[in-house]
Amino acid sequence: MLSRNWRHLCRRYSQAVTFRTTEASPAQQNEKQIGLFYTMNQETCKQLFSQGGFPKSFQKQTKTFTETAIMIRQPALDLINCIKSSDFNKPAIRYVLYGEKGTGKSLTMAHLLHYAHEDGYLIVHVPWVSEWLRRLPRSKEMSNSQTHEGCVDLPLDAASWLLHFKGQNQHILKTGELKVSKEYVWSKREKTEAGAPLAQLVEHGISRVKYACDVVDALIKEIKTLSHNKQCKTFVAIDGFNSFFYPVTRLSTPTKKKVKPEEVTLTTTFMELTKNDWTNAVILLSADQLAVPDDHQESHFPRYLLYKKGFEHLDPFVPVEVGRYSEKEFLSCASYYRDRLWLRGPPEIDTELKFTSACNPYRFMEQCAPL
Amino acid sequence: MSVFIKHYRPCGLVSGFNNKIWRYNSTTADVATSKNEEDEEFRVLDILKKRDRQQRRVARRADVQPDRADRMAVDQNWGNVWPGPKSFHPSSVPLPLRQGYVPRGQAPPGKKANAELMKIPNFLHLTPPVIKAQCEALKPFCTEWPKLLNSEEAIEKHYPVEIISSDYCHASPSIRNPLARIVTLRIKLSTLNLDKHAKDKFIRLVGDRYDRETDLVTITADRCPVKKQNLDYVNYLLTACYHESWNVEEWEKDKTEDDMEYYDWDKNASKKSLVNWYLRTKNENRELTDEEYVAFDISEIPNGEEYKNAVSNYLNDGESEVTVKNYAKSVRKLLGLPEAKVVT
Repeated sequence: MLSRNWRHLCRRYSQAVTFRTTEASPAQQNEKQIGLFYTMNQETCKQLFSQGGFPKSFQKQTKTFTETAIMIRQPALDLINCIKSSDFNKPAIRYVLYGEKGTGKSLTMAHLLHYAHEDGYLIVHVPWVSEWLRRLPRSKEMSNSQTHEGCVDLPLDAASWLLHFKGQNQHILKTGELKVSKEYVWSKREKTEAGAPLAQLVEHGISRVKYACDVVDALIKEIKTLSHNKQCKTFVAIDGFNSFFYPVTRLSTPTKKKVKPEEVTLTTTFMELTKNDWTNAVILLSADQLAVPDDHQESHFPRYLLYKKGFEHLDPFVPVEVGRYSEKEFLSCASYYRDRLWLRGPPEIDTELKFTSACNPYRFMEQCAPL
Repeated sequence: MSVFIKHYRPCGLVSGFNNKIWRYNSTTADVATSKNEEDEEFRVLDILKKRDRQQRRVARRADVQPDRADRMAVDQNWGNVWPGPKSFHPSSVPLPLRQGYVPRGQAPPGKKANAELMKIPNFLHLTPPVIKAQCEALKPFCTEWPKLLNSEEAIEKHYPVEIISSDYCHASPSIRNPLARIVTLRIKLSTLNLDKHAKDKFIRLVGDRYDRETDLVTITADRCPVKKQNLDYVNYLLTACYHESWNVEEWEKDKTEDDMEYYDWDKNASKKSLVNWYLRTKNENRELTDEEYVAFDISEIPNGEEYKNAVSNYLNDGESEVTVKNYAKSVRKLLGLPEAKVVT
C-alpha cells in the first residue's frame, strides 16, 4: 500500500514539469507554453460550461480525469494576441475557426471563453447551434412567432439559452449596471420598463417561456447598443455557426412543411448579432463539419461550409485554422494521458498511436481509451 | 506318420506297385502329382475379358514429323511467315517462349498449348524490317512535306482544325465497317476569334465538349451513315456555334450574379461589405446605391487592393490551404491585426 502511494506520488511529481504549466490565466500564457496543459479552476469551469460548451466526449473526460485541463495551442494564443491588439473602436471583428473533425475547434473556443471571462467580457455563447436546428428531442417545442410574421419560435431552447447566458454572466448581471434602454411591452400586464437592469429582462424570459424568443431578440439588441455605447465589452462565441446556413433544418411545422433556418426567430437574432455594425466586441464563430448533415461534409474549409450566403454575411472575417497535433503537442498529450492512466503500456506504443491516429486529437483520445 | 495303402491295379507291374507304396509315405506330394496328371488347369470364367483388353492396348507409334518451328531456316523472311495480326501459334514462332503461372521451383510453362500466350495480343507482324518495307512501299504515293511546317506550333497555327476518323480494312464479305463513319473535330478555343462575351457563350453552348485544362473543343458526330456527311455535319456545328456565340440576344441582359462564369469582386457583396466596413471605421453612416458601391474607389482603403485580389483568388481558384491562408493574411492586414505565427 505504501509503495503504491509512493509510486503515485513519484508519477505525479516527476513528470509534472514536462507537460503541465501553472499559468492558469489565458491572458498570461505565451508561446513557450504551447503544448502544455493548464488546469481550469473548478468554479470558473462550472460557471462557464455547466450548461454545455465542451464537446460531450471532453465533458466525460474531465469527469474521468477529475480535472479540466486544456492544452495551450497556437490558434488560441494567436486569437488572444489578435484580440489584445485590435482596436475596439472599430467595427467588431469576426473570427472563424475551421479545421478537420476533432482537431479541437470547440476546445479552442472554450479556451477563449475562459480568456474572455477573466478579462471581464460580457459573454454571449451559443454552445452548439445544431442543438436548436437539427436535434429533435421529444420535448422539442415550436410555436408560431407572434412578432415575426411567418417565423417559428423555439421557446424552450431560447429559455435554456437564457439560463446559460445568465449563468455565464452572473457576476456582471449582479452588479446591475447594465440597463435596458427602452420599454418592452410583452402583454397587457407584463412589460419591462426602460432603465430596468438587464437581469430582469433575462429573468422574464426564463420565467415566461412563451416570450423567451422575443426576450432573446430584445436582449441581443440591448447588448449591441450597450457595448456600442461603451458600457460593456462583449464576447460572442457561436459554435457550429454554419448550421444557420444549411438550406433546411430538421424542424417541421405541424403542417409538415420543412422549416428553413432563416424562418427561425433565433437565427435572425443571431444573424443580427454577427454583423459588424457595432463596436467594442469580439465575435468568434466556428465552421464545423459536424454541424451539418453528412451530405455536406466533403471539405472543412469555411467557404464550403458557410455557403455563399454565410461567406457574404461574414466577409471580411479572419479564418483561423485549428490543425492536428504537432510533434511537441503530441508528446505532451501522450505523457498527460500516461499521467492520468488513460494510456498505459510500453513507451514504443506512442509512435504507433501517432501513426494510427494521424495526430488527430480526438482520434488519439479515442484510440487510447481501450489501452 | 506313415500309412500303408493298398493299391491294386490289374495287370500292374509288381515293381511299380512297390514303388507306389514307398511314395505314399507323404500324402501331400501325392495329391499334387495326381492333379497334374489328370487335367491341366481349372478354367476361369473371364467376364470382363481382361486378358483380351490388355492385348488391345499396345501403343502404335505414329510417324510424327518434327516441329515446323525447329525446321525453319535461320535467314528466312519473317514477314512472310507472319504477315498479319493473328493469335499466337507455337509451331510458327521459332522462339523459346515461356509464359504463365510459375510453380515453385519450376520454369514457367512452355509455348505449346499455352493459353496464356494465345490470350495476349502480339505484335509479331510489326517487326522493324516489316514496317520499313511497308513504308518503302508507300513512299511512291506520298508527297513532300511542306518545308515551312517544321514545328508543332507552325502546324497548329496554319491548320488549327483537326479531323479524326478511322478507316478499317479487313477480309470479310463486306468491306464496309460502320465505325468508319465516326468523325471527330478538335480545335483549340484560343485559335477562334472570340471576344469575352462570345467566348463565354461558346463555352456554354458546347458544354462538356470543352476541356478547360487543354483548351480543346472536341465535337464528335456519328449520326449520319457516311463519313462525308458526318464531316459536313461537324463543320456545320462548329460554324453554327461560332456565329451563335457572337449574337447577343435580348434576354442575355438579364444575367445575374449567380450566372457569372467567374467571380467579379467589384460587383459582389464582398465589395459592399468592405466599403460598409470602411465607412464605419471612419464613423460615416451613409447608404450607398448599387452603382456607387461598384464605382467606389478602393485604393483609398489601406490594403484594400490586396484584399480584393485575395477574395477574387479565393473564390475563383477554389478553396485550398493556400487560398484560405492568403485570404487570412490579407484580412489581417486590412483589419490591422498581427500576423499568425507559423507553428514549428
